[in-house]
Amino acid sequence: MIYVLEDLINGILMGSIYGLTALGLTLIFGVLKVINFAHGSMLMVGMYAAYWAVALTGVHPYLALVLVIPVMYLFGHAMQDIIIKPIFKAEKQVREPITVIIVTTGVWYILDNLSLLVFGPQYRTLQDNPLRGKMLEFGDIMISVPKLWGFAAAVATALAVYLFLQKTRMGRAIRATSLDREAASLMGINQYRIYNVAFGIGTATAGIAGVALVPFYNVFPSVGVLFDIKGFIIVVLGGLGSIGGALLGGMIVGVIESVGPQVMTATWTEAIVYALFLLVLFVKPSGLFGVKYDW
Amino acid sequence: MREMKKIQNRSVAFFAVLALVGLVYCSPALCAGEKVVKVGNIEPLSGPSAAVGQQGKNARDMAVEEINAAGGIKSLGGAKIEMIYADSESKPEKGVAEAERLINTEKVHVLTGCWNSSVTYPVTAVAERYGIPFIVPVSVADKITAQGFKTVFRIAAKDSWWTRDQFAFLKDMQKEFNTKLETVAFVYENGDWGKGFAEQWKKLAGEAGYKVVLDEPYPSSATDLSPVVQKIKRANPDVLLLTSNAADAILLTNTLAEYKVKPKAIIGSGGGHADPSFLQATGKNAQYLFDIVEWETDVNKPNAREINEKFKKKYGYNLAGESVDAYIAIYVLADALERAGSLDPKAIRDALAKTKLTTGPAMIAAYDAIEFDETGQNKQAALVIVQINDMGKGLERITVWPKNARRAGYTPVFPAPQK
Repeated sequence: MIYVLEDLINGILMGSIYGLTALGLTLIFGVLKVINFAHGSMLMVGMYAAYWAVALTGVHPYLALVLVIPVMYLFGHAMQDIIIKPIFKAEKQVREPITVIIVTTGVWYILDNLSLLVFGPQYRTLQDNPLRGKMLEFGDIMISVPKLWGFAAAVATALAVYLFLQKTRMGRAIRATSLDREAASLMGINQYRIYNVAFGIGTATAGIAGVALVPFYNVFPSVGVLFDIKGFIIVVLGGLGSIGGALLGGMIVGVIESVGPQVMTATWTEAIVYALFLLVLFVKPSGLFGVKYDW
Repeated sequence: MREMKKIQNRSVAFFAVLALVGLVYCSPALCAGEKVVKVGNIEPLSGPSAAVGQQGKNARDMAVEEINAAGGIKSLGGAKIEMIYADSESKPEKGVAEAERLINTEKVHVLTGCWNSSVTYPVTAVAERYGIPFIVPVSVADKITAQGFKTVFRIAAKDSWWTRDQFAFLKDMQKEFNTKLETVAFVYENGDWGKGFAEQWKKLAGEAGYKVVLDEPYPSSATDLSPVVQKIKRANPDVLLLTSNAADAILLTNTLAEYKVKPKAIIGSGGGHADPSFLQATGKNAQYLFDIVEWETDVNKPNAREINEKFKKKYGYNLAGESVDAYIAIYVLADALERAGSLDPKAIRDALAKTKLTTGPAMIAAYDAIEFDETGQNKQAALVIVQINDMGKGLERITVWPKNARRAGYTPVFPAPQK
């Protein structure tokens, strides 16, 4: 019984980090109505940024956020402004421009292969950092300290993004654009600027996820792909565009992955996650926490 | 059409003159430039196994460079080897499509690859259909050479030999250190390779009287292996046998250390555990781990040290099992081409089947010779078991088994300390 509790805790912690990796994906979709296939690559860039920031300076991994958040924000902002915006402008009449999806796929390939070229195919881990390998032990229960930090980072990030969207003027403008971009434009909102900001924030959350992952995970050029697939499942589970949904969707996947293997092999839990994904698509296509009607 | 004929006629005449002139004037080196041996290589150059694919590519390129610099294939008038690479992304369907393309469009004479057993297996059928010789350096699944195909030739030991040697090692260690091992746990990636190993393990464990306390396939793409590690911890085995690719081998080793899981022996099966970045990425967590491989930098063979030094200087890391077998494969091919004296795939195949290589750079592995049986398996492929330990110069891989190959002065740490 005590084991179930231990696995449950691990599942929630790891799941919240999955949710954090998917946060940017859901935000960008909610606003731009475009699936960003390059999201995994942005996570990869975030992980490398965090890795090098810590490896070169030797600071506490979470101190790297000071550097990673602005760098990643600017990176996302610039990517949207330079690469994606022109396509949007060319396809003004289309609500969900397919070409943008193709462009993000291109960005994904370019980023992954660029990092393969620059950093090489090696697997890297932060060997000497204050979080690596740390465990809290309560009798038989062991809890990973870096995952606990990741959990805190995920909740804090989701809360911050949520409050930003609800309480600030820019946040309201973002929500307005996501509801109806033409109407928002008529109200004097520059939709392309909103896209830049949304993309920047989405990329910055991928950077935060990178910081949460590097203390216990390894970094390599195609690492994004592993989290990307999970990210899509989580986002659909939680409801596309829903911030809280991403976090809870992540936790659901995490708990299945963690508790499941105790009664079956780890291979089966993967199948169960996909089965749940299909079930949600059949029964409640808008996701567990998504908005049902989207004009 | 007539126009074309005219051009053809004219060019025939032109070449006839050229050939005549060539006969008189052309130096051997100049004429040699015309013949090229095209070798198609399918490797996972991107995706989860990109690192190992790149190593295989580098090793092949180094061998080709050496052979071409030494004058190419002499029986073919100094023909040069030309390498054409295709990326499988570790996906079987991609591998098959690339094999078709290499054979039909690029018109390669020989194929090599594909590292992932799950890719190599369907590609053998493509090669067989077109009669193109297919040299497999390391895909170890037994079934690759068990289909009665005539065109497949494997350099490395097949997986039933790897598992056989892992259990022989366990038996020898119990005797040498007077420690009883009773329970075993199997944890393996759920692809062809891992499942092939696990099947053999089950059989061998039954024969040797071990109790199997855990049999756990997991997806190699897993982003969290702590659930699997928890299962290992609760099963509490004496011996943990692993078959892992690189990313999961690293994650598993680090997670095992975090949860303080310390079986008496952990034995890897090459692959991810033999990856050059494995030690850097796991550090102390990998100490005392055993791994079975076809090659180690401290192997006692002529040229091995020099070739490794050259490779390391060129690419920045040591040769590993995959890269050594890839390097050997190219020399085996060169040797067969010399004897075939033809670019006809059938002639090359027949020459490969008659391979009996005992000298040259191909002899850097622990194999006594390279010689294929009728299924295309290298009969002489042998394996060694290493232990990862720190001998004062940082963590390194030290050959411990078979006992006659053990590094002089080293005593294996067994069972692993339980602190």
